[in-house]
Order: sequence, then structure tokens, then C-alpha cells
Amino acid sequence: MIAEKRPLKKFSERMFFTFPTMLVFSITVLIPFAYGIYLTFMKMPNILSTPVFDGMSNYKAAFNDKTFWTSMWLTIKFVLATVVCVNALGFALAYLVTSGIKGQGLFRTSFFTPNLIGGLVLGYIWQFIFVQSLPAIGTKLGIEFIRLGWLGDEKMAFWALVIVTVWQMSGYMMLIFIAGLMNVPKDVIEASTIDGANAWKRLVNVTLPLMRPAFVITLFMTLKSGFMVYDINYSLTAGGPYNSTSMVSMNIVKKAFVENNYGMGQAEAIVLFLVVAIISGIQVYIGKKGELEA
Amino acid sequence: MKKVKKIIAMATLSAIIVGSLAGCGSKASDSSSSSSSSTTKQKVTIIMTNGKGEITSQFAQAAKDFTAANPDIIVEPYSQAVGDTVPILDKLTTSGKTVTLAMVEPNAVLDKYKDFGVDLAKEKWIKDTSYSFKNPAGETTGFPFAIEGFGIVYNQKVLDKAVGGTFDPSTINTRDKLKELFDKIQATGVKFPVAYQTEPWSVANHYSSQFLNQDSDPSKVAAQMKAGTFDFAGNATWNGYYDTMDLLASKKYNMYGDRPLGTYYDGAHLAVGKGESAMLFNGNWAYDSLKAVAGDKFGFMPVPVDNNADNPLNNKIVAGPTQVFLVNKKSTPAEQEAAKKFLNWLVDDKAGQDFVVNKCQIVSAFKSNSNKVTNPLGVAIAEAIAKDKTVPFSTNYINAADYGSILGADVQKYISKKETRAELAKAFVEYYKTKK
Repeated sequence: MIAEKRPLKKFSERMFFTFPTMLVFSITVLIPFAYGIYLTFMKMPNILSTPVFDGMSNYKAAFNDKTFWTSMWLTIKFVLATVVCVNALGFALAYLVTSGIKGQGLFRTSFFTPNLIGGLVLGYIWQFIFVQSLPAIGTKLGIEFIRLGWLGDEKMAFWALVIVTVWQMSGYMMLIFIAGLMNVPKDVIEASTIDGANAWKRLVNVTLPLMRPAFVITLFMTLKSGFMVYDINYSLTAGGPYNSTSMVSMNIVKKAFVENNYGMGQAEAIVLFLVVAIISGIQVYIGKKGELEA
Repeated sequence: MKKVKKIIAMATLSAIIVGSLAGCGSKASDSSSSSSSSTTKQKVTIIMTNGKGEITSQFAQAAKDFTAANPDIIVEPYSQAVGDTVPILDKLTTSGKTVTLAMVEPNAVLDKYKDFGVDLAKEKWIKDTSYSFKNPAGETTGFPFAIEGFGIVYNQKVLDKAVGGTFDPSTINTRDKLKELFDKIQATGVKFPVAYQTEPWSVANHYSSQFLNQDSDPSKVAAQMKAGTFDFAGNATWNGYYDTMDLLASKKYNMYGDRPLGTYYDGAHLAVGKGESAMLFNGNWAYDSLKAVAGDKFGFMPVPVDNNADNPLNNKIVAGPTQVFLVNKKSTPAEQEAAKKFLNWLVDDKAGQDFVVNKCQIVSAFKSNSNKVTNPLGVAIAEAIAKDKTVPFSTNYINAADYGSILGADVQKYISKKETRAELAKAFVEYYKTKK
């Protein structure tokens, strides 16, 4: 007979295991977050003065800030580009790597390696490539397209950012897709082959629908990291030629720490949080609703 | 009952003893603090803050050395961490401490700390330097600690070859002469004489603040700009510097002329260091990036603003204090005296002079300091100081953070021809309107 534990003992056992993590999580995430929201309703001329209640004026200032909305729009374009490219490339790589070719373990590792390099270091490496290596190759071989540094032109600096992000994230998404592909039941695939489906039909009508959970995850992660991009933005272009590649996180950091406008910066950060939370929430909800059980 | 009585008796006795000792102690401290002005044996403790995170360990050592040499003064050093955006002075002040000697940036002396410092105009080191910093009230509150400068950094070897002898920077004092020099350099086979790097802080905070030196007191120009009475588009000096910038960033002479924006800082310094290009626009700190391929000699020359060879702006390098010491008005007279002693130690004492120049590699503002830094660009500034051939460090009279993040974008657009000169002038006007 299993003895029924008293509720208090059960609770204290749970707390024993989760308390350390919850404590650290509260201190580093929850409490600063709550305090931040509290501070957005306050007026503080500088970081060391006492807060005075100010109502919604920080939010009003944030909404009226033109640079915030320009950077938000730029970030949306960036997110669209990276979500499509990362997922397409990640899926393609996963498909190749599970198709049974020789040395696929090695390919898996090497495709994943870029993700292990931190964003800041990655940005500086690619900055070197775009500013020194490619122009040197372009000058020697006469390829005009890469002769002039990409980072000096606003459109090309944008695509440079997309390229570096895709390079970094595809490997990671590839792993998730591999797990998803492995979970597609072999008997369903066999059944579809017997019914006369070719490789393309198999992919579109059988594999992809059954991989919906994996797509929900990858879409969520690429959306989140696209909206929150900062380290690559900072190290590769530092906001780019005349602030033209300044994404929304960089705009917030500039507002708060360079222009010392902490109230407006924090309010903009809360707005960004809401935008990302709502978009990801909708995406996951729609995704999960349509999930099929094989 | 007997035991309790015993305990109570012991407790009361101990309380009386402690009370009487405390009374004695406070009486002693009262008498000592009241006689501090007359007794020289009383130790004074002062708090000193350092705004340059890179010299934290040297700063701590200097505090120790000074304290050892002056037994009646204790100096407590606090250094700011590199990259910390909140000044250590502010942090200590809000936690209730009185910082007696604070190292701050000059543009903060014109703004946040304008009422902080004691007037030091009667100190004896005043005559030894022309870089003491005045607050808006005209009081000389800033002791110049670190002198830095910027201008056109050039590679001596490349220019010697171009002129066929030893290049003398004082010969280039008009824009036309600079252009001729460019042509001479191209004639020797160096395709691009200039490697112009366009980082926002360089083109805005440094280059675009030079026009303030048209008045020997740049704060007057700053006041006009804030009041909205300064005509940017019509000002000859303001326009002159951008005419020279057109020359420096041009397709003909600039290595990056085809696409002038782009993160070229490292590439530009490598090019000039190796001799592939002849010059760039930066400050004495550029040597850190040139050093990697050192062996060549480097020097400074002023950016010419027009074709008038007698214009002081064409013959003097921009150099001035980037860090000053303030003595806190709110400290006690004894603490202020101790702080002034430390400042004298920095100027007169061999150990103090050694700390500033040799240990921290900082160019001293004082002619009496004969030490030389190892950085040849720093030496060039020290020589210009000795000959009185400098104009004020214009960046001290503007809001550097704003110039870098707001006006920097406009100057970059101007360089890449996305904005006209008139639009750039308008951007300056609009910016200063928001600063009211």
C-alpha cells in the first residue's frame, strides 16, 4: 500500500527541487521585469534620483518616438527575411542529412557549429569578412559586387545581417527538424509509397503535416531571436551606415544608456515585449490547434 | 534570588563602565576634531574617484604612494569600471559619502557638476599650465589631469618620400597646400593618400565640433548654438571644415571614396601603419591601432579649415583635457587642503609626475613635467603644448553622446551624399532646438 503523503510534505518536496531555480529566475528575470514595469510609470531624471509617479507619459513619449517605429518596421522586415530563410535552409539541411548519405554525422556537426559561436564574436568575424576579405577577393578577381564593402550601403548591410543570422541559426533549427523527421512514422511513409505517391507528394502531403510540432517550435524560436536581435547587430554594423540598420533592441539600448532617457527606453522595451509576446502567442496557438496525431 | 541579584549588579556595573568609556571616547574625538585645524598630527581621510577604468591599478598605487609620503593624509581611491555608464562619483555621493577629489569629464563640469568644485585659481600650478578648466561661472575649478588631442595623423615615412626630404607638418597650413601634398603623395605611387574612417563618434564628436574653436572661448559659441542664434549655414568656419571633409573623403584621394561609410577603423589604421596610405583623422589613442605594425614614425597636423595661412586654426592642433579633477565644495576645509596637496604632488613631486606620464601613459598638462610618453602621437601633443601651439579640445563644449548618436547619422549621410550641406545645417539647428 502506497502511503498517502500529506500535502505539506508533497509541497515541501517540490519546493526543495525547484526552489534554487525559482529563486535565481525570480532575482534575474521576474523581479527586474516587475520593477521595470513599475518604473515605466515613474519619472526619474537620472538613474540615481528618487522616482516620482508620472502616469503614462513614458509610454506616450515612446509611442511618439519616430526612431522607435522606424526600427520596429526594420526589425519586422528582418524577422520576415530570417524566419523564411532560416526555416527553409534548416529544413533542407535536415532533409539532406537524414537521407542516408555518407558522413552525415560529420555534416550534422559542422552545420551546427556556427551556432556555438557567440553572436558578438560571430559579428566581428563576419565584419572582417565583409570589410576586408570580400573586397580583397573582389579587387583581385574584378568582381564588382563584392569589391566595395557591403557594410557601407544600407541595403547591403541589411542583407549582411540576414546572412549572418541565417548562418548562425540554420544549424540549430536543423537539429530540431531532424528530431521532427525522425518522429514521422515509417509505416505512414510506406503506406503512401504503396499508394503511389512520389517523393515530392510524400514530402508535402505526409511529412510536412506530421512535422507541424517541430515547425511550431522553430517558428517561435526564429521569431523571438529575430525580434530580439542585438549582439550581431552591434558587432557587425553597430547600427549601420547612419543608423539605417539600427534594430529595435539597439534603439532601446541607445535611448536608455547613451541618451540617458531610461524612462522612455524601458517603456519601449515593454512595448517590444508585448509585440513579441502577442505575435508568438498567436503563432503557437494556431500551430498547436492544427497539430495532427499520427 | 541571590544569583539574580548578582547578575543584575554585574550588568549595571558593566553598563556604567562602557558608558563612561564611550563618554571619554566621544570627548576625545570632540577635542581632536575641534583642534584639527590647529593640530597637524590629525589624520585626514579623503575619498578620491577615478573616471578612467584603464588606470585603476596605477591609481590605487598612486594613492598608496602619496599616503606613504604624507603620513597625516589618508587617500581612499575608488575607480570606475570600464564601460560603466553611471559615474562612480554619483554612486558614492548618493550612498552618503563625500567625495573630496573627483575625476570627471570637462563637459560635465559645464553641466552636471557646474556647482561642485572649489575655485582653484589661486593654486601655484595654475601658472604652469594653460589647460585649467573653467565652469560656466568663470571659476577655474578643473585641474587638468589627462590631455588628449586629435587631428590628421600621418605616416612620416610616406610623407618624407612625397616631399623628398623631411616632412615638416607646419608647412601645411592651408587647404590648398594639403591638396598639393595629396597630389605629391599620389605621384610617388601611393594611390590613396587618405584612409578616411567614418565612425559616428569620429565624424561628429571630434571632427564636427572643431568649428567651436573659432572663438578662443568655445563655450561662447556653444551658448550661441543653444540660444538658437548661431547661423550654421552662413558660418565660414563651420562650412570650411566640411569643405576640407569633402577633400578628405573624396573619391580621388580617399581609399574608401567609392563607398565612404562602412566599418573601416581597423583597415584604415593598418593601411596608414603599413604605409599603404599616408594619413587619417583621429586622436593620440590611434597609436594603439597603428602600433600593431609599428616601426614607422607618426605625427599630427591640424585639419586646415581655409586658405588663410595665418588662421590659428590652421596652425594649432586641437588638444585639451579629457579628464579634470574637481575639489568638492562640500568637503571640510581640512579635506580640501589634503586634496590640494595631492594635486600639488601630481605637478611637483617626481613620483607624482612619474605616475601621470610614465605609469598611466597620459600626456601631462604641465610644462614642468619633463617625462615623455612612449606613444609618438602623445609626444607630438606634448611638444605642441610646450610651444603653445594648441587650441581647446572642442568636444568638451558639446554633448558628446548626442553628437555621436544623433548628429553622427546626419554627418555620415552628408559624407555619402545623401544629405546636402544645407540639410546638414538644418539638422544641427533642429538638434539644438531640442536642447532648450
